Amino acid sequence: MIGSIFQDAFKNLTANILRSSLTMLGVIIGVASVITMIAIVEGGQLWLVNSIERLGTNLLFVWKKRLTVEERRMFAGRNTQLRYEDALAIRERFPELVVAPILELDQKLKTGDRDYSGRLTATSPEFSTIRNFHPATGRFLTRSDLKEWKRTIVLGKTVAEVLFGSSPAVGEEVKIADQRFTVVGVMEPKGEVYGQDYDEMMFVPVTTGLRFFTGNDKIRSLILHVPERGHMPEVTEELHQFLVQRHDGVDDIRIRNQGEFLGAIDQTIWTFRIVLGGIAIVALLVGGIGIMNIMLVTVTERTREIGLRKAIGAKRRDILLQFLIESITISVVGGCVGVIVGIFAANGFGNMVAQSMPGGGDWGAVIQPSAILIAFLFAVGVGVTFGLFPAMKAARLDPAEALRYQ
Amino acid sequence: MLIDLRQVSKTYQAGQVAVHALKTIHLHIAKGEFVAIIGQSGSGKTTLLDILGCLSRPTGGEYWLDGENTGALTESQLTTIRNRKIGFVFQTFHLLPRKTALDNVQLPLMYAGVSRPAQISRAQELLTQVGLEDRITHYSNQLSGGQQQRVAIARALANRPALLLADEPTGNLDSQSGKDILDMFASLHREGQTIVMITHDPLIAQRAQRRITLADGRITADESTGSRDPVLL
Repeated sequence: MIGSIFQDAFKNLTANILRSSLTMLGVIIGVASVITMIAIVEGGQLWLVNSIERLGTNLLFVWKKRLTVEERRMFAGRNTQLRYEDALAIRERFPELVVAPILELDQKLKTGDRDYSGRLTATSPEFSTIRNFHPATGRFLTRSDLKEWKRTIVLGKTVAEVLFGSSPAVGEEVKIADQRFTVVGVMEPKGEVYGQDYDEMMFVPVTTGLRFFTGNDKIRSLILHVPERGHMPEVTEELHQFLVQRHDGVDDIRIRNQGEFLGAIDQTIWTFRIVLGGIAIVALLVGGIGIMNIMLVTVTERTREIGLRKAIGAKRRDILLQFLIESITISVVGGCVGVIVGIFAANGFGNMVAQSMPGGGDWGAVIQPSAILIAFLFAVGVGVTFGLFPAMKAARLDPAEALRYQ
Repeated sequence: MLIDLRQVSKTYQAGQVAVHALKTIHLHIAKGEFVAIIGQSGSGKTTLLDILGCLSRPTGGEYWLDGENTGALTESQLTTIRNRKIGFVFQTFHLLPRKTALDNVQLPLMYAGVSRPAQISRAQELLTQVGLEDRITHYSNQLSGGQQQRVAIARALANRPALLLADEPTGNLDSQSGKDILDMFASLHREGQTIVMITHDPLIAQRAQRRITLADGRITADESTGSRDPVLL
């Protein structure tokens, strides 16, 4: 009997093909938008995480906390600075960690008739390894650069282009605050990640930076790479204690790990997911209301048929099933088409973003089977929910009245 | 006794006014009878047909069908009674559109839970019986009025009902097709089928063996029509 009910449902839907298609359109749009929205959000998340992890993984960032006036007075005379020596001490105490000190200096580079104002990063050779950021030509900073306070500089791609155009930069000289620096390398292109344009960076040895520009040994921060991801919490704790101890017991250190940044991204992504998913679900609900509307019309149109069926032996549940199967068929067929449309739309949208976004070349929609399943099941659920009321209305019709309905 | 109406009445509430469609009807119809119920419009014959067909319940009195008090049955049980014991033939045929003659005849068999192959062979047998063996796969809108009514009769007979209930069966037909349908009823009657036919036309009622006249919700006459068939009272 179920088989012939399905056949009937199909016949009735194809007999009114325009109406059925328009009803399905609501479901198709709903399902397709659920899939597209989820795929875009997932794609965006993957892209963000990838672009952050492209700049190294398992990272710890160490800063000096800003002390209040009172704290400064209280801790006067104690060693409350993050210093280059801290980096060296960490390297000695935790040999498995890769450490790079960072000092940032705003300077102007001059060469011949051109100049470039930007932020110099004074650091150590480890920076390149930790950040997974390597020279395209020449070399990065070396240990001997640091040891001998050499005036060597490694330029980001954009900086090199501004100063030297298309001619090779390696071996050339630039002047910074009347000091001559030799360009020893130009970095590979990296683009912008999380607000920082890596192609605008410039690197000098940290020792040179301290000696020629600041004249003390204070550094801004440290970046560390922890080889074992699982060790990060203990390492963070030990590192913190070690630095507090070095700072005469003053807790002026803040350590954050990359996971916290990724966690923040996750939160943002969840917000997006909820907002976009909500919009898509509203679209699906509107599709469901379309189903209900059409099914109510269908029930009215077929009142005499319902009366006849009841007269010759159809029970309430037979009539209920008949109309419910019709609305489920609409939602299942609409859902299938919606899945296909959604996959195409998500990919199309992904390509569009990839082409229009700087550095978004590897951006793509991520269509997870679970998203397809959720969208499809939701569509069927909508079909059942919104088909139930018209079907119940049909099932409850009085046979004598329905037979003579005009 | 197939039909036993005991003081049956039916009152509708039309707004503030109570409409007494049927007023204390007593009626016995035995198995094998061919009865015409005749009356003007508004006489209550449609209400009576609904009650006889278990499409609605009386508001007073009892309706015993084939030894069973229908007042004690649930909605679902009444549906089963309609499916198994009653065959309906309507003035407007009430065939399902976009379905073949075969599909239409199969319908009551499907609701009776008959297997699909058995449905098909029984429906073919019935369509042959009503002379439509060459119209089995025609859609209902491809058939003439007389052919449609014959499909409807085949459908009514599908579950071998105790009672064939016809509501103005010739009302929408030309005179020749109407005569054919009445001939078919006569022949079914000869085979022992109980038939109750509702009509407003005294000439058509003449074809039945017994004529019950309804006026203003009451039976005003119950007479033998002097047809050749014996009266079984």
